[in-house]
Amino acid sequence: MSLCRYLPTPSDRMAVMWSLLTVGDAVVLEYGPAGTTHYSMGLFGAMGISPNQALFTTHMSEDDVVMGDVTRLEEAILELDRNYAPKVIFVIASAITSVIGTDLKGVCHYMQEKVKARLVAMENGGFKGDYTVGLREVQRMLVQELSGCGEGPSANTYNVLGASAGAYRIHSDLWELQDLMSRAFGFSCGAVPGVKASVDQLVAMGGARLNLVLRAEGLEAARWLKEQYGTPYVYGTPYGYGGTEKWLKAVGEALGASVAPEVTSQLQEKKKEAMTFRMYASMYRNKPHPPAAAIVGNYDTVVGLAGLCRELDITPDLLICAHTLKDIEEPAEGVVHFEREKDKIDALRRLRSHLVMADDVSLHLCDETNVGVCVSFPLVSHTQIANHLPLMGIRGTDFLLETVDRYYQNLD
Amino acid sequence: MNGQELVSRMKRLGEVHSIKDVGPLSRAMFPGPHCPLMGAMMAVRGIKDSVMLVVGTDECTYYTKNTTIGNKAFGGLDGRCLSVVLDQHDVTFGCKEKLYDAFQEMMEEYNPRAVFVVTTCVVEVIGDDVDSMVEELKNQYGIYAMAVHTEHFKTENHLPGVRDTITACFDMMTPRPDTGAVNIIGQRMGDFTTTELYRMLVGAGVPMGMMLPSGTTVEEIEKAAGARVNVVVNPIGLPLAEKMKSAFGTPYVLFDKYIDPDRIYGLYQSLFTYLKLPVPAEVEDLYRKAKEIVETAAGQLEGLTYIYGNTPIDCYEFNAFMVGLGMVPLLIQTNEVPEAEDPNLRAILERCNPYITKTANIAPLQYVYDVLKPNLYLGHEFAMRLRQKGIEMVHSDGISPMLGLEVPVAGVTELLRAGAAARALREGRESA
Repeated sequence: MSLCRYLPTPSDRMAVMWSLLTVGDAVVLEYGPAGTTHYSMGLFGAMGISPNQALFTTHMSEDDVVMGDVTRLEEAILELDRNYAPKVIFVIASAITSVIGTDLKGVCHYMQEKVKARLVAMENGGFKGDYTVGLREVQRMLVQELSGCGEGPSANTYNVLGASAGAYRIHSDLWELQDLMSRAFGFSCGAVPGVKASVDQLVAMGGARLNLVLRAEGLEAARWLKEQYGTPYVYGTPYGYGGTEKWLKAVGEALGASVAPEVTSQLQEKKKEAMTFRMYASMYRNKPHPPAAAIVGNYDTVVGLAGLCRELDITPDLLICAHTLKDIEEPAEGVVHFEREKDKIDALRRLRSHLVMADDVSLHLCDETNVGVCVSFPLVSHTQIANHLPLMGIRGTDFLLETVDRYYQNLD
Repeated sequence: MNGQELVSRMKRLGEVHSIKDVGPLSRAMFPGPHCPLMGAMMAVRGIKDSVMLVVGTDECTYYTKNTTIGNKAFGGLDGRCLSVVLDQHDVTFGCKEKLYDAFQEMMEEYNPRAVFVVTTCVVEVIGDDVDSMVEELKNQYGIYAMAVHTEHFKTENHLPGVRDTITACFDMMTPRPDTGAVNIIGQRMGDFTTTELYRMLVGAGVPMGMMLPSGTTVEEIEKAAGARVNVVVNPIGLPLAEKMKSAFGTPYVLFDKYIDPDRIYGLYQSLFTYLKLPVPAEVEDLYRKAKEIVETAAGQLEGLTYIYGNTPIDCYEFNAFMVGLGMVPLLIQTNEVPEAEDPNLRAILERCNPYITKTANIAPLQYVYDVLKPNLYLGHEFAMRLRQKGIEMVHSDGISPMLGLEVPVAGVTELLRAGAAARALREGRESA
């Protein structure tokens, strides 16, 4: 990729930041130039994250860069520990400290005896890869460094792994999952590292009965928890009525429990109602523009929404993963990632009469013959306020079907 | 956090000789100052047919584009803020190949008249010679191309980014015959055409030249050397004005956002002398009105204590002015320390010796309020939070788009309002 016209793919460091800022009773300390911290406020705001009293920077002078002096980092650690008494201080690298090779882990190691807070260094300066690398590392770090059995196995709780504040409508999706898990199995949510979890909740993660892994980035953490505490996990996302049914079934199998009949019958009813959309699909099959969809987003969002389209007999013929696929184990057929931004722009500009489920930038690039709905970050033309408008589960499918209906009304 | 301890660590204004002597309120800051990359973005925004090409990490380029998207002057999402995103390979082997490829793509798609290649911290740390690359690209494509360096670890805030971007515009200028016009250099915020100074100039029949960076074009920059005088409305415009004076003989007047009516009136006189025109009668009227309001204010503001945060007005001039009205600064937050002979600095120190610390660190400041107990806070803060501590906030953003004698009128009016509110707040507390 050479010229970037729109927003570049966020880096590992950015994901580390937006994930750790959601950990309650902890603070994030950046060792780097202050301007980056100030500049990041807009993005965190769009994700619904408040960095007030949670994010700090040391700033760096030319002397620090040239001489490798870490005094101001040491002083900042002592100061945060004394003044804010956090349970954990996450010390984060910057691009500069990565390039000059500052040993943050070493600093945290020798500073640990001088402070009450637990010091955890994250040396992601933005060069290890895109945001999925950061999410993967931060999820793994949070469970490895902080999880424990807590106060013993806690009955009927589950954790959610792989969730990220950088996923559009994640709070709504979690709300929907909680409702489904509660109604289907009587389970309640424990920790959701990366979106909402206090240090105490993270410590108690090992006691949960099940881990739900929404995205591939949570798999390593789930495997570690399984190895450590024997906690089973289910990897997948409930998109579509059929998809939700399958997902609940997999969860039930992992728990050795059956889905509550009330939820099963609700899903049966919903699937019956959605038959109308399959009928529309067959009506348009031989018309100039047979029903087709394009999806842009995180890998699991793309795969999940492609499944929803197939449920409705809409052909998902352009599936763009927003991040590299190199860490995805056996990527699904048809999912592509464009290294060059130009190729992605061209692919989106070529679309005609598609149902487009994507981010704001991608939607902006599609012409008016298409009908779109925002399902992923980045947001540029609207904001997310509601926490009750999911894309996943039963309510999520209800909502997305409204766009599908609009799509058919627009289709020749 | 112990406010008393924070206060005891701060130096007094009379003890510092340069900004290096001024410590931050705390080592761990939030949110911290803006970086020069943002300053460069603010400057390029005002140069209509130019492109900003940011060379940096995903993060720096992401935030810059993200900030420009909502900005019509940049052209929104499809706008003229572009980037070259560096990865580990580029950091190891240099950014030349990627920059050249991106430049070619940019020329094919955008065909700009001028390009600002803005480098960020990491490019400066790895030591890529972007100046030479840009020189080569400029010759290859036959357009204006300027390198602007915005590493934050060498600066205190974003202003050097604005300064260096507008200074780089000198490369687009060539000698021109005198047009009798004025150029406006260094206006960071607002629209110059809404200011009193603009009204006075246009009213006197003075043609307007380049307005950099508040709103100009490459063509206006090319012709800027034809101006009779440069009006520098912020010190960030001084390096460019000095270069133009040296190369083309264009004189300049530093007409910053001042609050002392006498000083502003003196600047009007200098400016119109250069223009070979009489000072407009309206300026005389405005001067009289501004003097009246200042004289009225002196008795009402006497004794009010304050913490100075950040305002659009020149920091030391504003503080000296308020001290002259009998107000008492308890703490000044700033990113600069003037020379010891600076008349404003001397005027402040003659009457008081406030604490001094760096700006943009409001988290620990909350604890300082409880110790210093000021009547007023000047700058960005949360007004309700301040009121709970018995402090009234002085709002100064409304002054941002002003220049001339309108500044003291608006500034003093707001001080009077805030002063009255602060007294009422204090009395209310005491009676309760």
